[in-house]
Amino acid sequence: MDPAFLNQLQRIVGAGGVLHDPLDVLTYECDGLPHLRMSPAAVVLPASAAEVHDVVRLCARARVPFVPRGHGTGLSGGALPVAGGVLIALSRLNRVLEVDIPNQRVTVEPGVTNLEITRQVAPFGYYYAPDPSSQQVCSIGGNVAENSGGAHCLKYGFTTHHVIGVDAVMPDGELVRIDGALTDAPGPDLLGLIVGSEGTLAIVTSITVRILRRPETVQTLLAAFDTIDAGGAAVSEIIGAGIIPAAVEMMDALAIRAAEAAVHPGFPETDTVLIVELDGPAAEVEALFEIVKDICRRCKATSIEVAADEAQRMRIWRGRKAAFAAMGRVSPNYYVQDGVVPRTKLPEVLNRIRDLERRSGLPIGNVFHAGDGNLHPLICYDERIPGQSDKAVEVAAEILSYCIDAGGSLTGEHGIGADKNTYMPQMFSAADLALMQRVRNALDPLGLCNPGKIFPTPRLCGEVPGPYRAHPVEKAGLAERM
Amino acid sequence: MDWGRAPQRVDAILSTRRLNRLLAHAHGDLTATIEAGATLAEVNATLARRGQCLPLDPPFADRATIGGILATNDSGPLRHRFGTPRDLVIGVQLATTDGTLAKAGGQVVKNVAGYDLSKLVCGSFGSLAAIVSATFKLTPLPRASKTIVVEAPDVETLGQIVRDVMSSQLEPIAFDIHVSDVARLLLRFASLPNVVDAQIEQTLALAALKGLGAPKRQGRDGGCATAVTEDDAERAVWEERSRRMWDSPGAIVRASWMPADLPAALKGATRVTELAGRAAVGAGLIRIDGDVRTQAAAVEQLRHSTSFRHVVIVRGSDELKSIVDVWGPLGDRERLFASLKHALDPNGILNAGRGPL
Ligand SMILES: Cc1cc2nc3c(=O)[nH]c(=O)nc-3n(C[C@H](O)[C@H](O)[C@H](O)COP(=O)(O)OP(=O)(O)OC[C@H]3O[C@@H](n4cnc5c(N)ncnc54)[C@H](O)[C@@H]3O)c2cc1C
Repeated sequence: MDPAFLNQLQRIVGAGGVLHDPLDVLTYECDGLPHLRMSPAAVVLPASAAEVHDVVRLCARARVPFVPRGHGTGLSGGALPVAGGVLIALSRLNRVLEVDIPNQRVTVEPGVTNLEITRQVAPFGYYYAPDPSSQQVCSIGGNVAENSGGAHCLKYGFTTHHVIGVDAVMPDGELVRIDGALTDAPGPDLLGLIVGSEGTLAIVTSITVRILRRPETVQTLLAAFDTIDAGGAAVSEIIGAGIIPAAVEMMDALAIRAAEAAVHPGFPETDTVLIVELDGPAAEVEALFEIVKDICRRCKATSIEVAADEAQRMRIWRGRKAAFAAMGRVSPNYYVQDGVVPRTKLPEVLNRIRDLERRSGLPIGNVFHAGDGNLHPLICYDERIPGQSDKAVEVAAEILSYCIDAGGSLTGEHGIGADKNTYMPQMFSAADLALMQRVRNALDPLGLCNPGKIFPTPRLCGEVPGPYRAHPVEKAGLAERM
Repeated sequence: MDWGRAPQRVDAILSTRRLNRLLAHAHGDLTATIEAGATLAEVNATLARRGQCLPLDPPFADRATIGGILATNDSGPLRHRFGTPRDLVIGVQLATTDGTLAKAGGQVVKNVAGYDLSKLVCGSFGSLAAIVSATFKLTPLPRASKTIVVEAPDVETLGQIVRDVMSSQLEPIAFDIHVSDVARLLLRFASLPNVVDAQIEQTLALAALKGLGAPKRQGRDGGCATAVTEDDAERAVWEERSRRMWDSPGAIVRASWMPADLPAALKGATRVTELAGRAAVGAGLIRIDGDVRTQAAAVEQLRHSTSFRHVVIVRGSDELKSIVDVWGPLGDRERLFASLKHALDPNGILNAGRGPL
């Protein structure tokens, strides 16, 4: 990188705020998708919105591409550096700026973790609803960029439903305040466009979110079924009965076995388990919970376990949350996808996946957000066996095509990033993508802000969507996948 | 058609009246795809056959079309629980000025593939592209519903009740305030019958409400401090509330405020005749009586107040619109809107001059 440019970066953020030695930038080469790697020309660590502004302005003037990065837990290569570009790491912008309990909102810098918001407001009886399972470690800035979800988003919505406004540095270096629909800001919902744009339209430097009052009651049950069809039928009947649970999660036999091996949650040895959680006013939860139990029985549940206390509830959730990382106990390697299907198509698509499993010879575990049809198929393979990692990639691509066939989506919460952009034409026509591209060009005419993501580009050789390896935070036991 | 500034020039009016079909109701998935010209009332009558609804209730649901509701991002009391159209839309099909049909989003409730243009067109007032159809997530119709109407002796008491409800674990489906000569509060609970009753009891036990005297049951809200209504009487109460402001004279603005600051904000807003809106969201409509000068001064006053965020004229005479801008300052977003407008409608043929872009 041009020394004069580095010098200017240092003038903005101080000498300690710029890394360019290949060894120093090593940790920034990838996010939670470790097979996609690129060494950035420089990593900058601004400590304020003003510094982000100056860095972006400098990049824009020098025509140097830049990539925003939160805490690097993304699962689609969204924070993958661009060759010769600058990686703007936002981890030093980690202040909680305002906690306003009477107006039920909190303003933070993007490097604050998701869980920190709930920690700040829990003493007052409030919480921040979107709950990705990486919530201890992922940043709010990353959540805004990915429109992150979690198990409880079935009832409470995703990040986009909870962001009131942001401050953002636009790709030309302008610092702007963007109020959203929650405050009836007149004009198109720009905030709704920016949330979920995977860091390609703006770098957010402060975020105001709404917080919710803790519900009066929470009740959780674990039901076992002999077939995935029976479990799927129970999900459909619960929704059909007009009940919107706080969460509905499903695990199949392989996932159950893995979770048992890892954290011993005491799950029954069965084909499918369903976790259903209801929350809200005590009278409502009590009444609806009985209906849910009836439905499970009618759908031939072989056992129903109701969490009698908070400890038991946590044990059920531990089993669910561990399932992802626990795959390592039953398979040397695994690769995960994030497709979505309409929830009534779950049994059909899951049966297709089971067929594929038999045909491909690769075991596939399923742990997923059944309530909103968001699949997380875990494809098991052994990279030491020649051809198996390629096979895993093929299998993943085929599963995504089932999701599209069923009228679903390529991704429910992990984003397209650099991982699935080549699949975008399966879901969107050339005209659809051209329209999105026009919107991108309107806000980033020079194409400097996180280029190469979301939109299909020819893959560079050797760059294939690839097998999953445990993310460092997962290895450290800081997060589990959901 | 009253929204916005007067158009600079009109060569053609594109009517979506004949685009009025419910294209798909995937009741098992709680979603529906609807053409832009269908009215909300038509749509909800059809969805109700399967015990579901699109939980939006802007004024004039019998006339409001799906496309219009999206383009204005308009909402009503149900916003308290379900948000505005942008919170419910999951996919959209657009006709763009270069003559292509393009879509964004999809048919599933959870989806982060590509840019969420279905949200971008919310609030765009037709100035970026024409909405052809949209897909929404739906909600089951409740089994039972009741509304408490409270008359507070003054705005401070009203503010106290609002704070009490907001910090409680009550889960109303709608939570409105109406302030004119009387300060009123409406709380609607919808769930199973016994749950609704339990929530009503809990509400009446709130400290700030207890002081207002014993509730009257099953009545219309005629003068007593607290009344509980259901069925037709309940519907009539909400309908009357939704129409009331539009049936009265004066200018109407859409405004947002910090919910906990409302009593203080109202003290500062001396020219406000009537305010009605969502108590916990801090958003609604304000009516301003008087001559055009008074109305203009009132709009300016609201815009300068630190308690109010955005103030947009939604009903006003041409004269009023010539004195004060309809939209008010767009802030930093103005420049970004201009870029988007230029990219999607380079010749400025859509809703030219009506704003906000
Ligand atoms: C174990 C594990 C479990 C997970 N579970 C879930 C889950 O349940 N639900 C879910 O939705 N996701 C989940 N994820 C994915 C990931 O945690 C989320 O996508 C998260 O939002 C990423 O946050 P981050 O701070 O790590 O962002 P990064 O990975 O650093 O970046 C992600 C994207 O955001 C952009 N970005 C980051 N900061 C900013 C900013 N300030 N302004 C603009 N753009 C920015 C980047 O350019 C990139 O495109 C999981 C990941 C792991 C490793």
